[in-house]
Amino acid sequence: MREKAIYILAILAALVMIPNLKTVFMGLPDEAMQGAIYRIIFIHVPAAINAQIFFTVSLVTSILFLVKKNFLWDSISVSCIEVGTMLVLVNLVTGSIWGRNQWGIWWAWDLRMTSQLMCFLLYLGYLLVRPAIAEPTQRASISAFVAIFAYADIPLVLMAIRLPNVRTQHPGPVLETGTMAPEFRAPFGLGVLAVFLICTALILIRQHQETAQREIDSLRRELHSI
Amino acid sequence: MKRGLITALAIAKKDLQTELRTKESINASASFALVILVLFSFAFDLGREELYAISGGMLWLVFSFAGALIVNRSFARELPNDCLDVLIASPAPAWAIFLGKSVAAFLLLFIVELISLPVFGLFYNIHWTDRFGGLLLVMALATWGITVVGTAFSAVTVNIRLRELMLPVLLYPILIPLLIGAMGTTTALLGGEPMFGQAASGEALASLRLLVGFDVIYTSLALYMIEFILIV
Amino acid sequence: MDITNLTYLFYGYSAAWIIITAFVFLLVSRGRRIDGELARLKSLVADKERR
Repeated sequence: MREKAIYILAILAALVMIPNLKTVFMGLPDEAMQGAIYRIIFIHVPAAINAQIFFTVSLVTSILFLVKKNFLWDSISVSCIEVGTMLVLVNLVTGSIWGRNQWGIWWAWDLRMTSQLMCFLLYLGYLLVRPAIAEPTQRASISAFVAIFAYADIPLVLMAIRLPNVRTQHPGPVLETGTMAPEFRAPFGLGVLAVFLICTALILIRQHQETAQREIDSLRRELHSI
Repeated sequence: MKRGLITALAIAKKDLQTELRTKESINASASFALVILVLFSFAFDLGREELYAISGGMLWLVFSFAGALIVNRSFARELPNDCLDVLIASPAPAWAIFLGKSVAAFLLLFIVELISLPVFGLFYNIHWTDRFGGLLLVMALATWGITVVGTAFSAVTVNIRLRELMLPVLLYPILIPLLIGAMGTTTALLGGEPMFGQAASGEALASLRLLVGFDVIYTSLALYMIEFILIV
Repeated sequence: MDITNLTYLFYGYSAAWIIITAFVFLLVSRGRRIDGELARLKSLVADKERR
Protein backbone atom coordinates (compact mmCIF):
# COMPACT_ATOMS: atom_id res chain seq x y z
CA MET A 1 0.00 0.00 0.00
CA ARG A 2 2.65 2.46 1.09
CA GLU A 3 5.04 1.36 -1.63
CA LYS A 4 2.30 1.70 -4.22
CA ALA A 5 1.55 5.21 -3.01
CA ILE A 6 5.22 6.14 -3.25
CA TYR A 7 5.50 4.79 -6.79
CA ILE A 8 2.30 6.53 -7.88
CA LEU A 9 3.52 9.83 -6.41
CA ALA A 10 6.87 9.49 -8.15
CA ILE A 11 5.23 8.71 -11.51
CA LEU A 12 2.79 11.59 -11.11
CA ALA A 13 5.67 13.93 -10.22
CA ALA A 14 7.56 12.86 -13.34
CA LEU A 15 4.43 13.33 -15.47
CA VAL A 16 3.98 16.85 -14.12
CA MET A 17 7.62 17.83 -14.06
CA ILE A 18 9.03 16.68 -17.39
CA PRO A 19 6.53 18.49 -19.66
CA ASN A 20 6.74 21.46 -17.31
CA LEU A 21 10.52 21.64 -17.58
CA LYS A 22 10.09 21.54 -21.36
CA THR A 23 7.73 24.51 -21.22
CA VAL A 24 10.03 26.41 -18.87
CA PHE A 25 13.17 25.89 -20.90
CA MET A 26 11.89 25.76 -24.47
CA GLY A 27 8.46 27.38 -24.44
CA LEU A 28 8.77 30.51 -22.34
CA PRO A 29 10.48 33.64 -23.66
CA ASP A 30 13.40 35.22 -21.79
CA GLU A 31 12.44 37.77 -19.19
CA ALA A 32 12.97 41.36 -20.28
CA MET A 33 15.32 42.44 -17.49
CA GLN A 34 17.08 39.25 -16.45
CA GLY A 35 17.40 37.15 -19.59
CA ALA A 36 17.52 33.39 -19.12
CA ILE A 37 18.39 33.28 -15.42
CA TYR A 38 14.86 34.07 -14.26
CA ARG A 39 13.96 30.42 -14.97
CA ILE A 40 15.51 29.59 -11.61
CA ILE A 41 12.31 30.91 -10.07
CA PHE A 42 10.52 27.72 -11.15
CA ILE A 43 12.55 25.67 -8.68
CA HIS A 44 13.54 28.42 -6.22
CA VAL A 45 10.09 29.59 -5.14
CA PRO A 46 8.32 26.18 -5.24
CA ALA A 47 10.99 24.91 -2.83
CA ALA A 48 10.28 27.78 -0.42
CA ILE A 49 6.50 27.39 -0.68
CA ASN A 50 6.64 23.65 -0.10
CA ALA A 51 9.03 24.09 2.82
CA GLN A 52 6.48 26.38 4.48
CA ILE A 53 3.72 23.84 3.79
CA PHE A 54 5.71 21.01 5.38
CA PHE A 55 6.73 23.11 8.38
CA THR A 56 3.08 23.94 8.93
CA VAL A 57 2.18 20.24 8.72
CA SER A 58 4.91 19.51 11.26
CA LEU A 59 3.44 22.10 13.62
CA VAL A 60 0.04 20.42 13.45
CA THR A 61 1.43 16.91 13.88
CA SER A 62 3.67 18.04 16.76
CA ILE A 63 0.65 19.42 18.61
CA LEU A 64 -1.26 16.22 17.81
CA PHE A 65 1.57 14.14 19.24
CA LEU A 66 1.62 16.08 22.50
CA VAL A 67 -2.14 15.68 22.81
CA LYS A 68 -2.59 12.09 21.60
CA LYS A 69 0.85 10.57 22.34
CA ASN A 70 0.63 8.58 19.12
CA PHE A 71 4.04 8.00 17.56
CA LEU A 72 2.58 8.20 14.06
CA TRP A 73 2.37 11.98 14.49
CA ASP A 74 5.94 12.20 15.70
CA SER A 75 7.23 10.28 12.69
CA ILE A 76 5.32 12.58 10.33
CA SER A 77 6.72 15.70 12.04
CA VAL A 78 10.31 14.60 11.80
CA SER A 79 9.91 13.55 8.16
CA CYS A 80 8.28 16.84 7.23
CA ILE A 81 10.96 18.86 9.01
CA GLU A 82 13.78 16.91 7.41
CA VAL A 83 12.38 17.33 3.91
CA GLY A 84 11.41 20.95 4.62
CA THR A 85 14.93 21.80 5.80
CA MET A 86 16.32 20.22 2.65
CA LEU A 87 13.96 22.39 0.60
CA VAL A 88 15.03 25.55 2.44
CA LEU A 89 18.60 24.61 1.57
CA VAL A 90 17.61 24.26 -2.11
CA ASN A 91 15.91 27.63 -1.87
CA LEU A 92 18.94 29.30 -0.29
CA VAL A 93 21.45 27.83 -2.71
CA THR A 94 19.47 28.59 -5.87
CA GLY A 95 18.74 32.08 -4.55
CA SER A 96 22.40 32.64 -3.85
CA ILE A 97 23.36 31.56 -7.37
CA TRP A 98 20.72 33.88 -8.81
CA GLY A 99 22.07 36.70 -6.64
CA ARG A 100 25.62 36.09 -7.83
CA ASN A 101 24.40 36.51 -11.39
CA GLN A 102 22.03 39.43 -10.89
CA TRP A 103 23.52 41.37 -8.01
CA GLY A 104 27.14 40.26 -8.40
CA ILE A 105 27.32 38.92 -4.85
CA TRP A 106 26.62 35.50 -3.39
CA TRP A 107 24.87 36.77 -0.32
CA ALA A 108 22.96 39.94 0.51
CA TRP A 109 21.25 40.42 3.84
CA ASP A 110 17.89 41.07 2.31
CA LEU A 111 14.59 40.28 3.96
CA ARG A 112 13.79 36.97 2.40
CA MET A 113 17.31 35.57 2.48
CA THR A 114 17.71 36.43 6.13
CA SER A 115 14.38 34.95 7.13
CA GLN A 116 15.02 31.77 5.17
CA LEU A 117 18.46 31.41 6.70
CA MET A 118 16.99 31.75 10.20
CA CYS A 119 14.34 29.19 9.32
CA PHE A 120 17.11 26.84 8.23
CA LEU A 121 19.04 27.35 11.47
CA LEU A 122 15.94 26.85 13.62
CA TYR A 123 15.05 23.52 12.07
CA LEU A 124 18.69 22.47 11.90
CA GLY A 125 18.64 22.74 15.69
CA TYR A 126 15.65 20.39 15.75
CA LEU A 127 17.41 17.85 13.54
CA LEU A 128 20.57 18.04 15.66
CA VAL A 129 18.93 17.66 19.04
CA ARG A 130 16.73 14.73 18.07
CA PRO A 131 19.39 12.03 17.76
CA ALA A 132 20.88 13.14 21.09
CA ILE A 133 17.84 11.85 23.00
CA ALA A 134 17.83 8.13 23.68
CA GLU A 135 14.45 7.43 25.24
CA PRO A 136 11.70 7.30 22.51
CA THR A 137 8.85 9.02 24.37
CA GLN A 138 11.16 11.72 25.64
CA ARG A 139 12.64 12.16 22.18
CA ALA A 140 9.22 12.56 20.60
CA SER A 141 7.85 15.03 23.15
CA ILE A 142 11.00 17.14 23.23
CA SER A 143 11.07 17.20 19.43
CA ALA A 144 7.43 18.29 19.33
CA PHE A 145 8.20 21.02 21.86
CA VAL A 146 11.14 22.29 19.82
CA ALA A 147 9.14 22.15 16.58
CA ILE A 148 6.37 24.30 18.07
CA PHE A 149 8.89 26.79 19.47
CA ALA A 150 10.64 26.99 16.12
CA TYR A 151 7.40 27.55 14.21
CA ALA A 152 6.33 30.33 16.59
CA ASP A 153 9.56 32.11 15.74
CA ILE A 154 8.77 32.49 12.03
CA PRO A 155 6.30 35.41 12.36
CA LEU A 156 8.66 37.10 14.82
CA VAL A 157 11.54 36.75 12.40
CA LEU A 158 9.40 38.28 9.66
CA MET A 159 8.58 41.14 12.02
CA ALA A 160 12.20 41.63 13.08
CA ILE A 161 13.64 41.87 9.59
CA ARG A 162 11.17 44.62 8.74
CA LEU A 163 12.49 46.85 11.52
CA PRO A 164 13.80 50.11 10.07
CA ASN A 165 17.34 49.62 11.34
CA VAL A 166 17.84 46.34 9.48
CA ARG A 167 19.60 46.97 6.19
CA THR A 168 18.06 45.27 3.19
CA GLN A 169 18.30 45.14 -0.56
CA HIS A 170 14.66 46.21 -0.80
CA PRO A 171 13.24 43.61 -3.16
CA GLY A 172 9.92 45.41 -2.76
CA PRO A 173 8.05 43.96 -5.73
CA VAL A 174 9.12 40.44 -4.80
CA LEU A 175 7.70 40.81 -1.30
CA GLU A 176 4.58 42.88 -1.66
CA THR A 177 3.43 44.33 -4.95
CA GLY A 178 4.76 42.07 -7.66
CA THR A 179 2.60 40.11 -10.06
CA MET A 180 3.60 37.45 -12.48
CA ALA A 181 3.00 37.58 -16.21
CA PRO A 182 0.04 35.31 -17.06
CA GLU A 183 2.01 32.90 -19.24
CA PHE A 184 4.36 32.18 -16.31
CA ARG A 185 1.61 31.29 -13.89
CA ALA A 186 0.75 27.81 -15.13
CA PRO A 187 4.35 26.49 -15.24
CA PHE A 188 4.95 28.08 -11.85
CA GLY A 189 1.93 26.35 -10.32
CA LEU A 190 2.95 23.05 -11.90
CA GLY A 191 6.46 23.54 -10.48
CA VAL A 192 4.98 23.88 -6.98
CA LEU A 193 2.89 20.75 -7.59
CA ALA A 194 5.87 18.74 -8.87
CA VAL A 195 8.04 19.59 -5.86
CA PHE A 196 5.10 18.81 -3.58
CA LEU A 197 4.60 15.36 -5.12
CA ILE A 198 8.31 14.45 -4.99
CA CYS A 199 8.63 15.61 -1.42
CA THR A 200 5.48 13.83 -0.27
CA ALA A 201 6.99 10.62 -1.63
CA LEU A 202 10.22 11.36 0.24
CA ILE A 203 8.27 12.08 3.42
CA LEU A 204 6.45 8.75 3.13
CA ILE A 205 9.77 6.92 2.76
CA ARG A 206 11.29 8.80 5.69
CA GLN A 207 8.24 8.25 7.85
CA HIS A 208 8.39 4.52 7.19
CA GLN A 209 12.05 4.51 8.26
CA GLU A 210 11.17 6.29 11.48
CA THR A 211 8.58 3.63 12.28
CA ALA A 212 11.09 0.88 11.48
CA GLN A 213 13.64 2.58 13.72
CA ARG A 214 11.18 2.50 16.61
CA GLU A 215 10.58 -1.18 15.96
CA ILE A 216 14.36 -1.72 16.14
CA ASP A 217 14.49 0.12 19.45
CA SER A 218 11.74 -2.02 20.95
CA LEU A 219 13.32 -5.24 19.63
CA ARG A 220 16.60 -4.21 21.25
CA ARG A 221 14.85 -3.74 24.56
CA GLU A 222 13.13 -7.09 24.17
CA LEU A 223 16.48 -8.76 23.52
CA HIS A 224 17.86 -7.25 26.69
CA SER A 225 14.93 -8.50 28.73
CA ILE A 226 15.04 -12.08 27.42
CA MET B 1 -3.43 29.58 40.35
CA LYS B 2 -2.58 31.56 43.47
CA ARG B 3 -0.96 28.57 45.10
CA GLY B 4 1.03 28.02 41.93
CA LEU B 5 2.32 31.58 42.09
CA ILE B 6 3.35 31.13 45.71
CA THR B 7 5.19 27.92 44.74
CA ALA B 8 6.87 29.76 41.88
CA LEU B 9 8.05 32.45 44.28
CA ALA B 10 9.35 29.83 46.70
CA ILE B 11 11.29 28.12 43.93
CA ALA B 12 12.72 31.40 42.69
CA LYS B 13 13.76 32.22 46.24
CA LYS B 14 15.36 28.82 46.69
CA ASP B 15 17.29 29.15 43.43
CA LEU B 16 18.51 32.62 44.26
CA GLN B 17 19.53 31.56 47.73
CA THR B 18 21.59 28.60 46.51
CA GLU B 19 23.10 30.86 43.91
CA LEU B 20 23.96 33.56 46.41
CA ARG B 21 25.60 30.98 48.66
CA THR B 22 27.66 29.22 46.01
CA LYS B 23 27.80 32.04 43.43
CA GLU B 24 28.75 29.40 40.89
CA SER B 25 26.89 30.56 37.78
CA ILE B 26 26.81 34.29 38.49
CA ASN B 27 30.58 34.47 38.99
CA ALA B 28 31.25 32.47 35.86
CA SER B 29 28.75 34.46 33.85
CA ALA B 30 29.89 37.90 35.00
CA SER B 31 33.58 37.17 34.51
CA PHE B 32 32.83 35.65 31.10
CA ALA B 33 30.94 38.82 30.12
CA LEU B 34 33.89 40.95 31.21
CA VAL B 35 36.35 38.85 29.25
CA ILE B 36 34.27 39.19 26.10
CA LEU B 37 33.99 42.94 26.61
CA VAL B 38 37.76 43.15 26.85
CA LEU B 39 38.19 40.92 23.80
CA PHE B 40 35.95 43.16 21.71
CA SER B 41 38.39 46.00 22.16
CA PHE B 42 41.05 43.89 20.45
CA ALA B 43 38.65 42.62 17.80
CA PHE B 44 37.65 46.08 16.59
CA ASP B 45 39.67 49.23 16.27
CA LEU B 46 36.98 51.83 15.92
CA GLY B 47 36.37 55.55 15.97
CA ARG B 48 33.69 57.10 18.18
CA GLU B 49 30.92 57.12 15.58
CA GLU B 50 31.48 53.52 14.59
CA LEU B 51 31.69 52.48 18.20
CA TYR B 52 28.26 53.96 18.91
CA ALA B 53 26.89 52.30 15.78
CA ILE B 54 27.82 48.81 16.99
CA SER B 55 27.42 49.37 20.74
CA GLY B 56 23.98 47.75 20.95
CA GLY B 57 25.13 44.72 19.02
CA MET B 58 28.18 44.26 21.26
CA LEU B 59 26.20 44.59 24.46
CA TRP B 60 23.58 42.09 23.45
CA LEU B 61 26.08 39.54 22.21
CA VAL B 62 27.73 39.71 25.63
CA PHE B 63 24.39 39.50 27.44
CA SER B 64 23.15 36.56 25.41
CA PHE B 65 26.39 34.61 25.95
CA ALA B 66 26.20 35.33 29.67
CA GLY B 67 22.53 34.32 29.61
CA ALA B 68 23.27 30.93 28.07
CA LEU B 69 25.69 30.21 30.91
CA ILE B 70 23.08 31.09 33.52
CA VAL B 71 20.13 29.19 32.08
CA ASN B 72 22.33 26.19 31.44
CA ARG B 73 22.61 25.74 35.20
CA SER B 74 18.94 26.45 35.80
CA PHE B 75 17.71 22.87 35.66
CA ALA B 76 21.10 21.16 35.67
CA ARG B 77 21.49 22.45 39.25
CA GLU B 78 18.76 19.99 40.30
CA LEU B 79 20.46 16.92 38.85
CA PRO B 80 22.74 15.93 41.78
CA ASN B 81 20.94 13.89 44.45
CA ASP B 82 17.96 13.49 42.07
CA CYS B 83 16.50 16.80 43.20
CA LEU B 84 14.81 17.21 39.81
CA ASP B 85 12.80 14.00 40.26
CA VAL B 86 11.67 15.20 43.67
CA LEU B 87 10.64 18.57 42.25
CA ILE B 88 8.63 16.90 39.48
CA ALA B 89 7.05 14.42 41.87
CA SER B 90 6.08 17.18 44.30
CA PRO B 91 2.52 18.58 44.12
CA ALA B 92 3.88 21.80 42.59
CA PRO B 93 2.52 22.25 39.07
CA ALA B 94 5.11 22.11 36.29
CA TRP B 95 4.42 25.66 35.16
CA ALA B 96 5.09 26.98 38.68
CA ILE B 97 8.47 25.24 38.83
CA PHE B 98 9.27 26.65 35.42
CA LEU B 99 8.10 30.16 36.29
CA GLY B 100 10.11 30.20 39.50
CA LYS B 101 13.25 29.09 37.72
CA SER B 102 12.73 31.66 34.95
CA VAL B 103 12.33 34.46 37.50
CA ALA B 104 15.51 33.39 39.29
CA ALA B 105 17.46 33.20 36.03
CA PHE B 106 16.04 36.58 35.00
CA LEU B 107 17.23 38.25 38.17
CA LEU B 108 20.68 36.66 37.93
CA LEU B 109 21.15 37.69 34.31
CA PHE B 110 19.86 41.16 35.13
CA ILE B 111 22.49 41.51 37.84
CA VAL B 112 25.19 40.43 35.40
CA GLU B 113 23.93 42.99 32.90
CA LEU B 114 23.90 45.75 35.49
CA ILE B 115 27.52 44.89 36.29
CA SER B 116 28.64 44.78 32.66
CA LEU B 117 26.85 47.92 31.49
CA PRO B 118 28.97 50.41 33.51
CA VAL B 119 32.11 48.45 32.65
CA PHE B 120 31.16 48.68 29.01
CA GLY B 121 30.57 52.43 29.29
CA LEU B 122 33.87 52.84 31.10
CA PHE B 123 35.99 50.77 28.72
CA TYR B 124 34.56 52.25 25.56
CA ASN B 125 33.82 55.72 26.84
CA ILE B 126 30.13 55.50 26.00
CA HIS B 127 27.53 57.62 27.79
CA TRP B 128 24.81 55.29 28.90
CA THR B 129 23.49 57.25 31.90
CA ASP B 130 21.42 59.74 29.85
CA ARG B 131 19.00 57.11 28.63
CA PHE B 132 19.23 54.78 31.59
CA GLY B 133 15.45 54.49 31.99
CA GLY B 134 14.92 53.41 28.41
CA LEU B 135 17.86 51.04 28.62
CA LEU B 136 16.42 49.45 31.75
CA LEU B 137 13.12 48.87 29.96
CA VAL B 138 14.78 47.26 26.96
CA MET B 139 17.05 45.20 29.19
CA ALA B 140 14.11 43.98 31.27
CA LEU B 141 12.06 42.96 28.23
CA ALA B 142 14.88 41.32 26.29
CA THR B 143 16.35 39.63 29.36
CA TRP B 144 12.99 38.12 30.17
CA GLY B 145 12.80 36.82 26.60
CA ILE B 146 16.27 35.28 26.85
CA THR B 147 15.63 33.67 30.21
CA VAL B 148 12.13 32.37 29.50
CA VAL B 149 13.20 30.63 26.27
CA GLY B 150 16.52 29.66 27.83
CA THR B 151 14.92 28.10 30.90
CA ALA B 152 12.45 26.23 28.71
CA PHE B 153 15.30 24.77 26.68
CA SER B 154 17.24 24.14 29.86
CA ALA B 155 14.33 21.94 30.96
CA VAL B 156 14.28 20.29 27.54
CA THR B 157 17.98 19.50 27.47
CA VAL B 158 18.52 18.65 31.12
CA ASN B 159 18.18 14.92 30.65
CA ILE B 160 19.89 14.51 27.33
CA ARG B 161 23.41 13.69 26.41
CA LEU B 162 25.53 16.65 25.21
CA ARG B 163 23.38 19.02 27.25
CA GLU B 164 25.85 21.91 27.21
CA LEU B 165 26.25 21.63 23.44
CA MET B 166 22.60 21.33 22.56
CA LEU B 167 21.35 24.31 24.54
CA PRO B 168 23.08 27.00 22.43
CA VAL B 169 22.25 25.17 19.19
CA LEU B 170 18.57 25.40 20.08
CA LEU B 171 18.58 28.71 21.93
CA TYR B 172 20.36 31.18 19.66
CA PRO B 173 18.35 30.69 16.45
CA ILE B 174 15.14 31.24 18.40
CA LEU B 175 16.56 34.37 20.03
CA ILE B 176 17.56 36.01 16.72
CA PRO B 177 14.45 38.22 16.33
CA LEU B 178 14.62 39.25 19.98
CA LEU B 179 18.29 40.14 19.70
CA ILE B 180 17.72 42.07 16.45
CA GLY B 181 15.11 44.16 18.24
CA ALA B 182 17.16 44.66 21.40
CA MET B 183 20.33 45.53 19.51
CA GLY B 184 18.57 48.12 17.35
CA THR B 185 16.86 49.84 20.25
CA THR B 186 19.97 49.83 22.42
CA THR B 187 22.07 51.36 19.67
CA ALA B 188 19.46 54.08 19.16
CA LEU B 189 19.27 54.79 22.90
CA LEU B 190 23.04 54.90 23.37
CA GLY B 191 23.21 57.26 20.41
CA GLY B 192 21.12 59.65 22.47
CA GLU B 193 17.77 59.04 20.83
CA PRO B 194 14.80 59.12 23.22
CA MET B 195 12.42 56.17 23.14
CA PHE B 196 9.14 58.06 23.35
CA GLY B 197 7.89 61.51 22.45
CA GLN B 198 8.39 63.84 19.52
CA ALA B 199 12.08 63.26 18.94
CA ALA B 200 11.75 59.47 18.80
CA SER B 201 12.21 58.01 15.33
CA GLY B 202 9.65 55.26 15.79
CA GLU B 203 12.40 52.72 15.31
CA ALA B 204 12.74 52.20 19.03
CA LEU B 205 8.99 51.82 19.42
CA ALA B 206 8.80 49.25 16.61
CA SER B 207 11.56 47.23 18.26
CA LEU B 208 9.82 47.55 21.60
CA ARG B 209 6.65 46.10 20.10
CA LEU B 210 8.68 43.19 18.79
CA LEU B 211 10.22 42.58 22.22
CA VAL B 212 6.83 42.64 23.92
CA GLY B 213 5.40 40.31 21.26
CA PHE B 214 8.28 37.89 21.69
CA ASP B 215 7.91 37.87 25.47
CA VAL B 216 4.16 37.35 25.38
CA ILE B 217 4.27 34.57 22.77
CA TYR B 218 7.08 32.57 24.35
CA THR B 219 6.01 33.08 27.98
CA SER B 220 2.54 31.76 27.25
CA LEU B 221 3.80 28.94 25.01
CA ALA B 222 6.38 27.83 27.55
CA LEU B 223 4.03 28.03 30.55
CA TYR B 224 1.44 26.03 28.68
CA MET B 225 3.75 23.42 27.18
CA ILE B 226 6.28 22.85 29.95
CA GLU B 227 3.99 20.21 31.42
CA PHE B 228 4.60 17.93 28.45
CA ILE B 229 8.35 18.18 28.94
CA LEU B 230 8.81 17.97 32.70
CA ILE B 231 6.62 14.93 33.19
CA VAL B 232 8.72 12.52 31.13
CA MET C 1 21.04 35.59 -25.06
CA ASP C 2 23.69 36.25 -22.46
CA ILE C 3 25.92 33.22 -21.97
CA THR C 4 26.91 33.88 -18.31
CA ASN C 5 23.24 34.04 -17.64
CA LEU C 6 22.77 30.55 -19.05
CA THR C 7 25.80 29.29 -17.14
CA TYR C 8 24.34 30.45 -13.83
CA LEU C 9 20.96 29.04 -14.77
CA PHE C 10 22.69 25.71 -15.28
CA TYR C 11 24.50 26.07 -11.94
CA GLY C 12 21.24 26.86 -10.21
CA TYR C 13 19.34 23.88 -11.52
CA SER C 14 22.26 21.50 -11.00
CA ALA C 15 22.71 22.68 -7.43
CA ALA C 16 19.01 22.11 -6.72
CA TRP C 17 19.08 18.62 -8.17
CA ILE C 18 22.36 17.73 -6.50
CA ILE C 19 20.89 18.63 -3.11
CA ILE C 20 17.74 16.62 -3.78
CA THR C 21 19.72 13.64 -5.08
CA ALA C 22 22.07 13.76 -2.11
CA PHE C 23 19.07 13.74 0.19
CA VAL C 24 17.54 10.77 -1.62
CA PHE C 25 20.88 8.99 -1.46
CA LEU C 26 21.09 9.56 2.30
CA LEU C 27 17.52 8.37 2.64
CA VAL C 28 18.21 5.16 0.70
CA SER C 29 21.41 4.35 2.57
CA ARG C 30 19.69 4.91 5.90
CA GLY C 31 16.81 2.73 4.73
CA ARG C 32 19.25 -0.09 3.87
CA ARG C 33 20.91 0.16 7.25
CA ILE C 34 17.58 0.12 9.06
CA ASP C 35 16.29 -2.84 7.05
CA GLY C 36 19.47 -4.80 7.71
CA GLU C 37 19.38 -4.01 11.43
CA LEU C 38 15.72 -4.96 11.65
CA ALA C 39 16.28 -8.31 9.95
CA ARG C 40 19.27 -9.05 12.18
CA LEU C 41 17.37 -8.21 15.36
CA LYS C 42 14.33 -10.23 14.29
CA SER C 43 16.44 -13.34 13.67
CA LEU C 44 18.21 -12.79 17.00
CA VAL C 45 14.91 -12.59 18.84
CA ALA C 46 13.60 -15.67 17.04
CA ASP C 47 16.82 -17.53 17.94
CA LYS C 48 16.60 -16.68 21.60
CA GLU C 49 12.95 -17.62 21.80
CA ARG C 50 13.59 -21.04 20.22
CA ARG C 51 16.09 -21.83 22.93
